[in-house]
Amino acid sequence: MSEFKSGFFMGDQSSNGRVLIMDDEADIRKVVRMTLQKAGYDVLEAEDGQKGIETINAGENRLLLDVIICDIRMPKVNGIEAIAYFRQNYPRVPLIVLTGFPDTDMATSLLRQGVVDYLVKPVEGEKLKASVARAMEQRELAHL
Amino acid sequence: MTSNVTTQEGKSALSSSPPAAVDRQSGRERPAFMASQPPTKVAILGAGRGGTALLDLLHQIRTIEIVGITDQNPGAPGLQRARELNVPVYERVADLIGNHGVNLVMDVTGDPAMERMLHKQVPTGADILSGPASRILWELVQHESALQTELLHAEKLAGIGSFAAGIAHDMNNPLQLILGLAENLAEEQDLEAVHLQARDIIEAVKRTTAICRDLTSYSRRASSLQDSVITINTKLDEALKIARYAVALQDIDIRKAYQPDVTVKGNPDELLHVFVNLITNAVQAMEHGGTLTLETAVIDGAAQVRVSDTGCGIPQELFGQIFEPFFTTKPPGKGTGLGLYNIKNVIHHMHGTIAVASQVGRGSSFTITFPRDAVTGDRSAHP
Repeated sequence: MSEFKSGFFMGDQSSNGRVLIMDDEADIRKVVRMTLQKAGYDVLEAEDGQKGIETINAGENRLLLDVIICDIRMPKVNGIEAIAYFRQNYPRVPLIVLTGFPDTDMATSLLRQGVVDYLVKPVEGEKLKASVARAMEQRELAHL
Repeated sequence: MTSNVTTQEGKSALSSSPPAAVDRQSGRERPAFMASQPPTKVAILGAGRGGTALLDLLHQIRTIEIVGITDQNPGAPGLQRARELNVPVYERVADLIGNHGVNLVMDVTGDPAMERMLHKQVPTGADILSGPASRILWELVQHESALQTELLHAEKLAGIGSFAAGIAHDMNNPLQLILGLAENLAEEQDLEAVHLQARDIIEAVKRTTAICRDLTSYSRRASSLQDSVITINTKLDEALKIARYAVALQDIDIRKAYQPDVTVKGNPDELLHVFVNLITNAVQAMEHGGTLTLETAVIDGAAQVRVSDTGCGIPQELFGQIFEPFFTTKPPGKGTGLGLYNIKNVIHHMHGTIAVASQVGRGSSFTITFPRDAVTGDRSAHP
């Protein structure tokens, strides 16, 4: 994990941004981490919604987390519940859904709630990186 | 072992008051207009495959009372079935048809001499069904059995629609891993990393293949081959694997209390379907998580399987309806209403019983009991 530096609202200046991946599958977290780290992102992992909420509430992450990538079907606190929590408590942190189940109604509903992107696995690395880059732009705009 | 083969033994124990008109054999309530009509008293002659099938079928009909069954072969499968159903077994035809005010004698012995004898001995006022009429009846019974098999398959296929989310989840996750690793491999320089990632890809492909294998095996039509001896614990585990496509098990605490080597004779595909259905129902009853308990045991030679949940429970007033066809509490499009009905039929064909116990807000448990002969397989094949 990168060190906390000045630039309070711009996050860690040594990386392109800090991304939290929430997915109950370790394999998914592994490949997302691999893809995004190569693109210069600092990646945090959470295995379910509850851990994800704990992560964003922990220390500097409250301020430095730039993007959340969230699965839907997860134990304890599922993706829908976690997204509702993030929208309410961290409305400026952009959210990307990365799910195994394409559900048009759910996608529409989540996009209306402000989710930046609804990606269905398997998603290519380039597409994931483009989505995170878009979310980063939204994050920066939110700070202006 | 319970003496009542019908599917609602738990009802009488839990109901606050008995219904106004209750069928003696099935325990089911009769419609008001039938309450005053006496049942048709039927005697069955012959306890082979035809007699057994007839017994099973007639026993479910509320307006019929089976006064007894007889067969010259004391080992005939229908006689054992009759004892389980509390239907009297007679050694002599005369003792059966000469008493009880029989309305109808059904001769499925296939013996022309029996037919001739009946016309002399059957009391006035009683009808005889034998010869060609009896054969046609046998055809109808077989047809009914075939229809039930079709219905079971149709319900299974309808249920597979609900697997979509689970299948997508379990297929797309390994595919994401494969894609991510393959993209990385295209640029990877470290040979050791290449080997590790290639191994991960192979494992992910195996997992995906296993999903297809499980589901194609489950969705096939139940084999019509002869019954085989089924290890219940293995079948329950297999069902749990299938059920997780239909329902999310992440928030469910699964407890197993298996006694080793619990077996039963029957159709393995049909029993798998029964277990998948019971597990799926149990998990769906626990919307906010809970405990799913799977238990097996052999008690006095009888095999018992219990699937319990700590979910919403079933209101007492619905106990009489849950095993009826097309009864469902789910919203339109979410349930066929055939799940428990088919379960009842499969268990019935395996000569077992299923009982439900439930408390609203506390949970439900479904207990299947297979009699000793079904456990050891010491019985002839049924149609």
